[in-house]
Amino acid sequence: MALRTTPIADNAPNKITVKELDFFYGDFHALTDITVDIKEKAVTAFIGPSGCGKSTFLRCFNRMNDLIPSARAEGLVSLDGQDIYETGVDPVDLRRRIGMIFQQPNPFPMSIYDNVAFGPRLQGVSKKAALDEVVQTSLERANLWKEVKDILGRGGLTLSGGQQQRLCIARVLAVEPEVMLMDEPCSAIDPTSVQKIEDLMAELKDRITIIIVTHNMQQAARVSDFTAFFLQEVAGDPAILVEYDRTSNLFTSPKDRRTEDYITGRFG
Amino acid sequence: MREAFRQELKDLKAEVVSIGKGVTDRTRDAVTSLVTGDVDLAEKVVAGDEEIDRRTLAVEEHSIEVIATQFPVARDLRLLHSLTYIALHYERMADLAVNIARAAKRTAGRRGPQTLYDLIQAQGNLVYRVLDATCEALETRDVELARKLQDLDEPIDHLYKQFFRELARLQDEEDIEWASSMVLASRYLERIADNAVDIGERIAYLVTGEFEALHSPDEETS
Repeated sequence: MALRTTPIADNAPNKITVKELDFFYGDFHALTDITVDIKEKAVTAFIGPSGCGKSTFLRCFNRMNDLIPSARAEGLVSLDGQDIYETGVDPVDLRRRIGMIFQQPNPFPMSIYDNVAFGPRLQGVSKKAALDEVVQTSLERANLWKEVKDILGRGGLTLSGGQQQRLCIARVLAVEPEVMLMDEPCSAIDPTSVQKIEDLMAELKDRITIIIVTHNMQQAARVSDFTAFFLQEVAGDPAILVEYDRTSNLFTSPKDRRTEDYITGRFG
Repeated sequence: MREAFRQELKDLKAEVVSIGKGVTDRTRDAVTSLVTGDVDLAEKVVAGDEEIDRRTLAVEEHSIEVIATQFPVARDLRLLHSLTYIALHYERMADLAVNIARAAKRTAGRRGPQTLYDLIQAQGNLVYRVLDATCEALETRDVELARKLQDLDEPIDHLYKQFFRELARLQDEEDIEWASSMVLASRYLERIADNAVDIGERIAYLVTGEFEALHSPDEETS
């Protein structure tokens, strides 16, 4: 379990609220009846066997699924109380507020500096001093500044995998997101970098809400405050949210037998 | 991998149950040696303590190894942690049985009033029952039986108090060293049963995942 002095309070505000969400890819019913409150400034982990819809669910939060033709969501997903699927919500603005980190680090084929300055420039920041500051601050927050401060002009793709992933985190942080979605952010990088990214998550949650999808249950247990377990019980049926609880409870005394069986390795 | 892990958990649990049965036997031998004045039997109990210590340590070492390599969670984690806890309680109970055996060695050759021997024997019989119940509850994950241990403990406390009342009737010429050894033995039996109640609470936790209120002895009568 993520070590901390005080656990997230029960009455901590919700950043994202999901009510009775169903999700479809055309005729395929991927998720059904998902209701969950994501606490603000906490780390929430989604776990479950492959194909249980956890990445699909994650992508509902920033409407990434909109990019897939025939995909549709029914039910409510709200950010700070506002329905994000409402007409009038700009998905681009939404994705600034809710940043995303993917399994494969995906720096743009440009310099380290330009990677981080990319978002702020799009938002209209053009003065060099202002950009310099945001680049430095973001790289510092991503715990990458010390390693790259003398090579900012070098291509982002020349960095190691773990550094590239932290560069992508800095790029997201540069636009001051409120939420960061991380889809298997550590599965393609070396253990030392994994450690750095996990440490980083613990630091970042003072400011932002983090939701992480991970196949690594020890990682979920280490980094998260809350854990949600998803399961597709029968092939072809939609996946459900089986159990959602504080990570410390879910990994010591899960309430549902299916959660127990999954996390103890009895199936999946 | 996971199959081997599960087998290890089963083996560890069987080992702790077996330690528990060993402690029951030693307690029985200790009380018998005290009541019958059998010094050889008392010696056997004292000598056997090393084995319990060694096996308890092995359980603890093995548990730590499994935690470090297998990352157990949920019921596996509760089981491993509880097994260590229970084994350490059994080990303390075995130490108390040794203390009773030592009292048997001190008092052998002297004979006090039969009433007090009868009381110790009665208390011992109840303690064996409590010890048997810990082993059975652990072996079969029987929460109801585990919770009942507290009730089984009550008459043992009661007999301990009665023991004091009987002592007060002793005449001046009775051997004071003999009397104090018997009081201590009764006290050790009462402590063994208290440890058993703690084990019962831990068995309830490993099955349900909920910590139940910890039992504390009502009063310290020593």
